[in-house]
Amino acid sequence: MRNSIFALFACLLLSAASFGQIKVQPIDLKERTLYNGLRIVTVQDNSNPTVSIHVWYDVGGKNDPPGRSGFAHMFEHMMFKATKHMPDEKFDRLTEDVGGFNNASTWPDFTNYYEVVPSNHLERLLWAEADRMVNLNVDDKSFASERDVVKEEYRQGVLAPPYGKLFWLMDDKTFEKHPYRRGVIGNLDELGAATRADAEAFYKTFYRPDNAVLIVVGDFEKKQADAWIDKYFGSIAKPSGSIPRVTEVEPAWTQERRYNEFGPRVPFPAIAIVYQAPKTTNPDIPAIRLAESILSGGASSRLYQSLVREQQIAQQANLDLELNAEGGRMSFVGIGSEKGTSENLEKAWLAELEKIQKDGVTDKELQKAKNGYIAGSIRFRETNDGKAILIERAVAYNGDPNAVNRELDTIQAVTPADIKRVMNQYFKPNNRVVINYSQAAAKAEEVAQ
Amino acid sequence: MKTKLGFILSVLLFGALAYGQLPEPGPARSVQVPAVKEATLKNGLRVAVVERKAVPSVSVSLVVNAGSDKEDAKKAGLARLTASLLTKGTKTRTATEIAEQSEFNASSIFGSAQWHTAGVGMGVLTSGFDTGMEIFADVVRNPSFPQSEIDLLKTQSLAGLKSSLSQPSSLANYASSVYSFREHPVGGTPASVQAISRADVEAFYQTHYRPAGAVLIFVGDITLQKAVTESEKYFGTWTNAGKTTEYSSGGWAQTSSGPSVMPVFSRFLVIDLPESGQASVNYFKRVYAGGRKTKDYYTATVLNSLLGGGYSSRLNQEIRIKRGLSYGAGSNFAWRNGPPTFTVSTQTKDVSAAEVAELIVAELKRLGDTTAAISEFDPRKAVLTGSFGRSLETNGGIASAIANLYSLGVSTSELNSYMGSVDGVSNASVRDYAKKYFIAGDIVIVGDYAKFKDDLAKRFPNTKIDVVKASELDIESPTLRKGDVQ
Repeated sequence: MRNSIFALFACLLLSAASFGQIKVQPIDLKERTLYNGLRIVTVQDNSNPTVSIHVWYDVGGKNDPPGRSGFAHMFEHMMFKATKHMPDEKFDRLTEDVGGFNNASTWPDFTNYYEVVPSNHLERLLWAEADRMVNLNVDDKSFASERDVVKEEYRQGVLAPPYGKLFWLMDDKTFEKHPYRRGVIGNLDELGAATRADAEAFYKTFYRPDNAVLIVVGDFEKKQADAWIDKYFGSIAKPSGSIPRVTEVEPAWTQERRYNEFGPRVPFPAIAIVYQAPKTTNPDIPAIRLAESILSGGASSRLYQSLVREQQIAQQANLDLELNAEGGRMSFVGIGSEKGTSENLEKAWLAELEKIQKDGVTDKELQKAKNGYIAGSIRFRETNDGKAILIERAVAYNGDPNAVNRELDTIQAVTPADIKRVMNQYFKPNNRVVINYSQAAAKAEEVAQ
Repeated sequence: MKTKLGFILSVLLFGALAYGQLPEPGPARSVQVPAVKEATLKNGLRVAVVERKAVPSVSVSLVVNAGSDKEDAKKAGLARLTASLLTKGTKTRTATEIAEQSEFNASSIFGSAQWHTAGVGMGVLTSGFDTGMEIFADVVRNPSFPQSEIDLLKTQSLAGLKSSLSQPSSLANYASSVYSFREHPVGGTPASVQAISRADVEAFYQTHYRPAGAVLIFVGDITLQKAVTESEKYFGTWTNAGKTTEYSSGGWAQTSSGPSVMPVFSRFLVIDLPESGQASVNYFKRVYAGGRKTKDYYTATVLNSLLGGGYSSRLNQEIRIKRGLSYGAGSNFAWRNGPPTFTVSTQTKDVSAAEVAELIVAELKRLGDTTAAISEFDPRKAVLTGSFGRSLETNGGIASAIANLYSLGVSTSELNSYMGSVDGVSNASVRDYAKKYFIAGDIVIVGDYAKFKDDLAKRFPNTKIDVVKASELDIESPTLRKGDVQ
């Protein structure tokens, strides 16, 4: 993330469904592909005088070069520096200075660059996005300074918060082979080792029209927007050569692994129990999302009721989903309380897991989870930017923007039997990694014992 | 075309853009500010409605005069605890039933408290509106405050405090309340939360949750007529006749701002937190200027945008963009009926803490010494008006904008005059505001002192540095040291 708070671990709910009498309107998207391979998705909506522009690149944390953990994210920051036609930070002049905003974020699978501006500025942003797709021109000084910013982002996200390191470890200690293990933020040593030459090579390899999708949602006339897109992006030549893809395949986890980890300021012990998740194109994903909601979505959810309210052993108890295109992870994360220990948190999770595996869920619980999804989906569609985000996630995780309008059926089709089945299929004792996390002083005591 | 340092990729690989020149913007479309329709019920409850048909949902908020300024500092946290307890049991529903029923209806209801007011908020789909309103009214009017729920929430608050106080930035924020702003923290302190009893909660509710002075806000798929009918149905018989309370400033307010020749800061505090991971560097100042209802609000708002609001503000330019010393640096005014509080905050690696403190002081000084050029000043106004316009694109955003106005006693007509008022602020008035008010504030650093001690002494040679160990900190003491009393 270029600015705002570190949100690499955030999980986004993707949904659309019908709720009672309300039918969620499909997003009326138009799709086409330019000669150079750039895919275009537009949605015209003239209700507010703003427009959201997203450029989605098929490159993420998993594509970090060897020995350069965190590089894809660091590179994202460089995309705000000079191009052939623009000085450093020109994007801020084109957005912030006219009442808009911009940002970018790097995920395990992709990187997105986006801005919302008053709609009379659309042409300028299309021009600028096309320019930085092919004309980036970072100098040594800007590179070094921005690399320091990213190191501060690491400190702010991983080192300063009491449980920052635990979330970092959830990548590092779980994936055995797939580059997802490096996490998006990387580490200080490898960030420090990165050079401008690395950036040049990375840009050359991944930033090209046939590795991107342009999504424009909001206040414009489609014919005019298409003409601008053709003018600025259409003039980019068709690239030659292929784009390298990740070839490592994460093997099935077959044996439980356990780690005891420590941090310098850990107010209460915590635990993460991490399971291997299927790819985002797997038909079980909707059931997994609804199971997550039943277990930890809101104050009536099972984990909150049991661990936070009744036993009072946790401040927070969640099933944290990081669902990736090439297979992700599903983690029970419990942050303890005065009465909470790693041991009783683990025991309580296993009891809840056994319950849902044995007895399944009620029709009412499932309906509640579905209702929550639909309401969330409607709220997302209130803004141009919300719609652009939904389309972008459909591209990233289903390879097809139109998947945004099919989510309805897949969510509605989930049955209690599906929930029971996926909980049994994916949450097994030999498919888990257990990370106990506590105050560092405990380490010395452990050694002494 | 040759560039000295850059990577020359584009031309060689993909061909240049056919059109090298940045196009001009087209004609601007104006932002539609929503019309707020208002009515008042017989019991004094005001109803504010914005009718929007775009999305089949309604955002509902109640604002009552039951904020933290109404609580005794020894019971700090009472207002917030009371608001949170509304959804934890009524005469006919348990906490779990409230959660289950409202979540089934996709209309989660939350109670929260700010400095002057408390509120209850709900987002609901049109199809679930009736069910949602019934629960909403029940939690506002019939809370039962079960002892078990009070105990649980207190335990959770204390655990939350423990976590907050172990993190450099939130520790600095907590310290600012008593040390710099001379008011109690909204979230309470370990001792004050511990001291709250059920009787306190019950009395606070009886006194402050009442229709007179409160407002019920509806935004979305609803008409004024329907909103008034629903308000009558659920709140028409609400007659809690608690006492009217006068606004209290928190008890510590000063009136003098001192001579303007004083330096930007007069106290320099370090809270030593070994292995902090990163240092939090802050400037805190109670600004004895006009509050939210005065013209000073707009001057301060534009000033903040220039100094530390948004990505390209001066603090972020100097600390992050030019020097790579932080992931982000910014400033903020917290609005009150009376004098607002002002905060500059950023995080940096421990060894850079002194350098960053120096940059903050320099920017505060520059703001009062020189007048910003219009080429810099006007875009900072656009940041404010643009962000204001975007906040009006959702039901929730409009409801929260209206709730903020009510909570500070400001007319909703300011939604219409906001952009003009921002545009009317001059660069000279911003300079004068900074010169007059950014004096004798506090620099507060929370971090691993050993790592910046020498650099600090070098950069601030004639300054008394007050050092308190985080492990010995007392956030209830005005000096933050154990044993000192207010």
